[in-house]
Amino acid sequence: MTNITIAWMAFPFFIGFVIYLLPKIDRWLALLTGLVSIAYAMLVFFSMPSASDVLPIQLLDNFGVTLAVDQLSAYFILTNAVVTTAVIFYCWGSGRTAFFYMQAIIMHGSVNATFICSDFISLYVALEVLSVAAFLLIAYPRTDKSIWVGLRYLFVSNTAMLFYLLGAVLVYQAHHSFNFAGLRGAPPEATAFIVLGLLVKGGIFVTGLWLPLTHSESQSPVSAMLSGAVVKSAVFPLVRCALMVEEIDPIVRFFGVGTAVLGVCYAVFEKDTKRTLAFSTISQLGFVMAAPVVAGFYALTHGLVKSAVFLIAGSLPSRNFKELQSKPIDTKMWIALTIASFSISGFPLLSGFGAKVLTSKNLLDWQVVAMNIAAVGTAIIFAKFIFLPHGKSEEQIKVQPGFWWAMVLLIGGLFVANVVYYEAYTLENIVKPLATIAIAWVAHFLIFKRLSIRLPRAIEKFDHQIGIMTLMLILLFWVEYGRNYIS
Amino acid sequence: MLLEAFVFATIFIGFFGVILKKNLIMKIISMDVMSTGVIAYYVLLAARTGFVTPIVTEANDVAYADPVPQAVILTAIVIGFSITALMLVSAMKLAKDNPTLETNVIEENNTP
Repeated sequence: MTNITIAWMAFPFFIGFVIYLLPKIDRWLALLTGLVSIAYAMLVFFSMPSASDVLPIQLLDNFGVTLAVDQLSAYFILTNAVVTTAVIFYCWGSGRTAFFYMQAIIMHGSVNATFICSDFISLYVALEVLSVAAFLLIAYPRTDKSIWVGLRYLFVSNTAMLFYLLGAVLVYQAHHSFNFAGLRGAPPEATAFIVLGLLVKGGIFVTGLWLPLTHSESQSPVSAMLSGAVVKSAVFPLVRCALMVEEIDPIVRFFGVGTAVLGVCYAVFEKDTKRTLAFSTISQLGFVMAAPVVAGFYALTHGLVKSAVFLIAGSLPSRNFKELQSKPIDTKMWIALTIASFSISGFPLLSGFGAKVLTSKNLLDWQVVAMNIAAVGTAIIFAKFIFLPHGKSEEQIKVQPGFWWAMVLLIGGLFVANVVYYEAYTLENIVKPLATIAIAWVAHFLIFKRLSIRLPRAIEKFDHQIGIMTLMLILLFWVEYGRNYIS
Repeated sequence: MLLEAFVFATIFIGFFGVILKKNLIMKIISMDVMSTGVIAYYVLLAARTGFVTPIVTEANDVAYADPVPQAVILTAIVIGFSITALMLVSAMKLAKDNPTLETNVIEENNTP
């Protein structure tokens, strides 16, 4: 298993360069990589049937790279693999060059690597490779706008990673090891720096407000990958640390709740489809973090839904909800959009239901109220998509040839993933999400559909995003300092 | 202790340069200053235990510098350098339509 893991981790990087050497078969190679990752995730599920099984890998000597594979990683790997495969299908006939597939596959590889890292430096390297690949994908159209959006992303994430590096060396100073477990007993500033870096990188809470612009202004397949898989690369280490070191757990849960509520507050007022989805990503990451024990399954269902909806949003006639009201969308596309929206709202029969039930069972008392509000908010956001008019549209929009293959994979995945937690189907569990959706739809028609409030976007400006890091750093430092010295 | 203060001063000067400088190139350079500070911090911590280069020689019983942070930061230097290079290329591309390279102007032109 150790050898398979290492071969699988290196495979996307190797294939990435081969794609550039053999541009004729670029799509096939990219597809192969996606399928290999799906197979690997399945292998992990079958060879480690219990959630507590871990495969620790120590490369080189004492100070070498440490990796750890378990079921939690397998869920995240599966998410990444399915999203990448779907995006490759989507791009199949779009005439994108080998360069695009190469970057997509290298990004896939580095996201995979983050899901099995268990020391801070390997994680740093994986996250930085990922930033570069993501930048190149965002800037792929080479317009001024795309370059600026990419540059802004690279700038914010690199600054955050510098703080992260500072934290990593403080952990090393305390324990002479970079392992995640070193956060226990590390000085408060170490935790503050590392958590800050990961929060910014993952697009969480106010430090994550760089995300809406980046995810909404990229091309649809890139947004799908960024929202479906890439943001989770920084959430995963937070979840892993929360599970390994119980002192981190309340911090991760707290920011989970914060970002879940903040994301929906912005998203319900948003009038643009892709920005709504990006804010919804900020909020959904909160659900992943709110209950670290079951984060994997929630991340999987969110990844499938979000990438499907981003791909659909890219094929709609307009990005503005107002204009979409007067332009009916194709019925087949509407059905796919509705299934995905129902899943994320937590409707039974789809795996989003199981994920929501599982998460809500693992919440702590103080989280419950806020998370229920966020769940209603999520259903309101997706009511906006469900109640779009549909029918035979006059102007046929050209859909990418691979579009339906991608949809079959992603939405099929939503049905299949039900097997993970079929115990969720009890009467009591089914009533609650239905009530949530009912409340949300009433609220949608009575209140939010009629409102037209434009929230200010000043906080999303580049300078403010960097500045917010200082505020967050101070907040984290006081939280950590208080915990260490008062208790 | 004094050295540590200087290192942190470098990091924060760099960081505030990123926020306060208006010009894109200056922002990139500020980020590089910040990155230099972080690298210096790694080197400083590695030298806590001694200054001798950690290579096995006959005189084994000397105060070695810790090789691990140095090895680690080498990776970070390379990554930092490549990212700075990418950013400068983007700045070059952006300079065609925004010759002053003032970030607030670029941001205004390119945000919907």
